[in-house]
Amino acid sequence: MLRLDRLVKSFGALQVTREVSLEVPQGVRHAIIGPNGAGKTTLFNLIAGELRPTSGRIEIGGREATGLSIDKRARLGLARSFQRNNLFLSQSVRNNLLLADMAAWGTGKRFWPLLSKERAAHERAEAIALQVGLADDLEQQVSELSYGAQRQLEVGLALIARPKVLLLDEPTSGMSPEETGRMLRLIDGLPRDLAVLLIEHDMDLVFSHADRITVLNYGQVLLEGSPQEVRGSDVVQEIYLGGVED
Amino acid sequence: MAQNSIFRQVLAFLVFLALIAYWTQADYFGFEIIAEIGVFAILAMSLDIIAGYAGLVSLGHAALFGTGAYLLAYFSVVLEWPVWLAMATSTALTGLIALIVGGVVTRVHGIFFIMITLAIGEMGYEFFFQNRTLGGDDGFAGIDRLDLGFIGVDLMDPASFALFVIVMAALIYLLLLRLLASPYGKVLAGLHDNPGRLRALGLPVRAYQTSAFALSGLIAGFAGTLTAQHTLFISPNLLHWTTSGEVLVMIILGGLGTLVGPVIGAATLVLLRHELSEYTQYWGFWMGLFLIAIVLGGRNGILGWLEWGWELASGKTRREALAQAKEADDAAS
Repeated sequence: MLRLDRLVKSFGALQVTREVSLEVPQGVRHAIIGPNGAGKTTLFNLIAGELRPTSGRIEIGGREATGLSIDKRARLGLARSFQRNNLFLSQSVRNNLLLADMAAWGTGKRFWPLLSKERAAHERAEAIALQVGLADDLEQQVSELSYGAQRQLEVGLALIARPKVLLLDEPTSGMSPEETGRMLRLIDGLPRDLAVLLIEHDMDLVFSHADRITVLNYGQVLLEGSPQEVRGSDVVQEIYLGGVED
Repeated sequence: MAQNSIFRQVLAFLVFLALIAYWTQADYFGFEIIAEIGVFAILAMSLDIIAGYAGLVSLGHAALFGTGAYLLAYFSVVLEWPVWLAMATSTALTGLIALIVGGVVTRVHGIFFIMITLAIGEMGYEFFFQNRTLGGDDGFAGIDRLDLGFIGVDLMDPASFALFVIVMAALIYLLLLRLLASPYGKVLAGLHDNPGRLRALGLPVRAYQTSAFALSGLIAGFAGTLTAQHTLFISPNLLHWTTSGEVLVMIILGGLGTLVGPVIGAATLVLLRHELSEYTQYWGFWMGLFLIAIVLGGRNGILGWLEWGWELASGKTRREALAQAKEADDAAS
């Protein structure tokens, strides 16, 4: 579903992404780990189109996407949740989901029917609200939601597009243990036909929920493998436990 | 939210009734003021679509307004087309120009958007300032009004024309109200909040901004065809950036992104200008004070204050309703 081929990004002399290749097939949850400054979010921005790679190639759903704009990539089936909540704060949960729905499905072109009468859109919004655990908060204004609930909505906005590839940028960051548990159940419950690429700091979470893991350091792939392989590797021990970096 | 929108619609209806009431009492001068309010209400609503809803603050909006006026003059006087045809063509053509301009200006954001719209607006001003066929800096006279003789209305009569303009403003209000409640309108409002997220979800953001700019220009052009018929004389000043600034003041004074707010802002500004200038030469000073007082309140213009007052007044009854609902809940459990 998602293929990166020797992706490079330099800012002047500084290479922040060095020949990163990876492939996330349908149904696989692939985690990217690495210390701060390893280039994880840069990699996400390259995939989503916020940044243009210096060289290399990106494929989404089998289609070349390297030079495409952010919105065109989204229309190829890519959706992302953001590390910092990126919502429509002054509006209700329902309106947030409806906006995401219209953006993703192209129904925002309809200028004469009333949005309040668009049954299908409302049903999709309600279904996603249920899926991310916000069914009781549909009419709540987003700025009044708890941080954890906003994180859930963040994922909901990405899901309503029914993507083929989902990028989750630290979905549990800043969450309480209880909220983290809820988010994990949400991630576990994601449709199996989805390819998920996930940035995460919480190692326990990564080892227990990812199918594949890529370890990134200084913008470079140090290691890719199954959770068992990565857990047992010396490299990871060194970065995370040895503390030789920086 | 729903309550809010009902309040606004009732308010819009009251504004319309007030204008009609004023109209029944007005003398010649009063009709002039009513027509001016109507024209600027339409122009302010059109600017509200991009500045208030879509979050694109333009300082070149008057150029589209003036273009509509000049095109009407050109088609109806120079080319001697019937006025209705000139109105339709000028409106459509202004919309087309706005579409092209919109495609260019939406490439930039924030302060740069303000600057580029200002620059393009001033280009329009210069063009008509220098254009000899259309009178240049002397302006252009000899414009005719729409002939509604077939329904027995003579628009050369100031009373009829004033009524015609406010009916047009009401129709445009209703049209935009509908449009803004559509998926398209809601996406525009979402663009104001967070264009980046909509783009990440797959929305071609610039196409939406450009289309909103075109729609806004279309309506500004229509307002222009009305102002040309109102004053029967036009000058490049219609396109000047100070006119844009004045319309911007109207929508900020009235309440950005509320549709009815800009109508109230237009009426307030036009009325205050006429009333205050009767009492004092320093009317601009007092108007400035008034504007500062409204904006410093931290609410969304006059409409923000009205909604605040309404909530305060209805707050008591709502608390009572909540208490009753709670009692009923307690009784049930």
